Amino acid sequence: MSDTLSAPAGATRRTPSADASGPARSPMRFLKPLLLVAALVVLLVLPLYVEEFWLRTGFAVAGAIVGAIGLNLLVGTTGQLSLAHAFFLAVGAVSYTYISGESGGLGTRASLRGLELPPIVGMVVGVLLAGVAGLLFSPIAARLRGIYLGVASLGLVFIGVHVLNTWTPVTGGFNGRSVPEFSLFGFTFGNSDPQLFVLGVPYREAERLWYLGIVLALAAYLFARNLLRSRPGRALQTLRDSEVAASVMGVNVQAYKARVFLVSSMYAGLSGVMYALSIGSIAPESFGLTVSILYLAMIVLGGLGSVAGAALGAAFVTALPLVFQQFADVLPLVSAPGEGGISAGIAARYLFGLAIVLVILFEPGGLAGFANRFRHRGRRPGRGSPGASPRSSGGPSPGAGPGTTVPSDPPAQGSSTR
Amino acid sequence: MSGAHRAAAGARDTTTRSDVPPVEVDGVSVAFGAIKALNDVSFTVAPGTIHAVIGPNGAGKSTLFNVLSGVYRATAGEVRFGDARLSAMRPFQIAGVGVARAFQNIALSGAQTVAENLMLGRHHLTKAGFLSSGLRLPRATREGRVHGERIREIAEFLDLGDKLHTPVGVLSYGDQKRVEVARALCIEPRLLLLDEPVAGMNAQETDRMADSIREIRAALGISVILVEHDMGMVMSLADRVTVLDFGRRIADGTPAQVQSDPEVIRAYLGSGTEDNPADAVAAAHTPEPTERQP
Repeated sequence: MSDTLSAPAGATRRTPSADASGPARSPMRFLKPLLLVAALVVLLVLPLYVEEFWLRTGFAVAGAIVGAIGLNLLVGTTGQLSLAHAFFLAVGAVSYTYISGESGGLGTRASLRGLELPPIVGMVVGVLLAGVAGLLFSPIAARLRGIYLGVASLGLVFIGVHVLNTWTPVTGGFNGRSVPEFSLFGFTFGNSDPQLFVLGVPYREAERLWYLGIVLALAAYLFARNLLRSRPGRALQTLRDSEVAASVMGVNVQAYKARVFLVSSMYAGLSGVMYALSIGSIAPESFGLTVSILYLAMIVLGGLGSVAGAALGAAFVTALPLVFQQFADVLPLVSAPGEGGISAGIAARYLFGLAIVLVILFEPGGLAGFANRFRHRGRRPGRGSPGASPRSSGGPSPGAGPGTTVPSDPPAQGSSTR
Repeated sequence: MSGAHRAAAGARDTTTRSDVPPVEVDGVSVAFGAIKALNDVSFTVAPGTIHAVIGPNGAGKSTLFNVLSGVYRATAGEVRFGDARLSAMRPFQIAGVGVARAFQNIALSGAQTVAENLMLGRHHLTKAGFLSSGLRLPRATREGRVHGERIREIAEFLDLGDKLHTPVGVLSYGDQKRVEVARALCIEPRLLLLDEPVAGMNAQETDRMADSIREIRAALGISVILVEHDMGMVMSLADRVTVLDFGRRIADGTPAQVQSDPEVIRAYLGSGTEDNPADAVAAAHTPEPTERQP
């Protein structure tokens, strides 16, 4: 063994060859940013060409993406099962509506109250309050795991729905209440004020919200991706694989579980605000257990632990029922509401169920795992691809999903020496 | 291969770091209900030495390691490492005072790369939090870069330099064991706890690991506590050996002393009523392991 190891002497020595930045560079590396820029440009000019339906769907998807990324940090990355996501969505949505809404109610009830603060304040406070709610729950979350945490968090959903139904002055009760338009420094994300035309296309609420959705979803995506690639992300992933190992390596397990719950519920809060803006009103049935389960479906379909997977899963689960509804008259078996046959929502759920079963059977990595497999196939001849080492005879098969790769019972080989 | 010779050789080429205090295990007991997994166990690890803890299955070796790393709380007694009372600290605090542990059953994150697993060892040496990492503030990225260089050094020292960006899950078993040790080294420990570092390895890998452990001690001047079943390795590597049986300490001394201790021979080979004691002593000297893992 010719290499030597020296004790760390304060500042480490800089070696020009040291490069821990990433795997081998290939043409894909240069192609990727170009593709990303192209995709972004397409997204930015899309409102000039497509109908309002697609823009509204896009904003709903963006909101779901934010929420799914947040839940994925908790469930996929850290391994903490939570069914309370709908509750934190509700905290964000109701806070926004209450803080920025008008007193006296919009239409139905005179007893509604609102603080009439600027919508950006409502959004920020909504996110913070969802975070506070998560933080209040996190002492419980830090002490439970797996199905036990799932059951404990379930209670929050029922509490949330009950409060939504009964705290009428704030939530609007079982009828719900309408949501104030978003605006930023005098620019309204509504149909007018100011009137806006781009290249002769009127930019109304749907167009404006579309851009808001892109910005927020992108920010949520980048924050989570950076987080996972750095110190806290590594700690969270190790915590998922082995709490004992994480704590022995210096990770304060309970503090980290609390923090990830905080971050996850803040994501949910923002997602709740976006959901409220996208629907235009909030009602108790929008924040029931079904919503929590749909969010779990998103991250399982997309791929647990993958930020991009969560985004893909969110797009799939959110857009599918809307698209079915839109094209109910052309799709076989699917009918418009009120007619015989399968309604769009039900049809979409059959499809989710099927998709989840297929994903769990054939690609536990979800849509992200599917994409990864595709990518690795493309660059197999290159160096540095995982699993290329011919010496990995004792290890498990390459390409196995996360969590299945560590052998717990090593083969007992002869341990004689000399 | 005598322990005395090894100790002398160790003393010649080793400079013990001045900040490595002795480890004092003082009357430690651990009870699970009525079962005493450890019963009043005491021993001292001198700074800069390799100290082996051996014993038959169920002797309490793993329990002892779990007490040393804070995973289990001692029901009586305490463990001191200089000023730090390890027995009163939580695991992450113990890592913070420079006590690192490599697990017997590999406890790495299989989906993460070798570099990412090693970077976890730097957790207590780095500060980047959720906000600065998520926003990629300059101090977070700078921190990652600086520590990435040390990671590379440690990986190259354990012949893992070319595997830094390989997911741990696809590495061979021997490689994964060495990643375990490398990750523990990334803590920059003053005390290294190695839990069966060569279990399940073949002869060649075992030799390689033994060399690595000697080099670690020689280069870093740190203390090493070793739990191991491979007698040949223990006797050639350790400066001092503590023997446990049924949770009690039955012997403590140099490898040569321990090998000829009648109590130790009885623990490993049975009461020996029908055996010629000389045969038993000879058997204890052979490098073949006297017991196997289940």
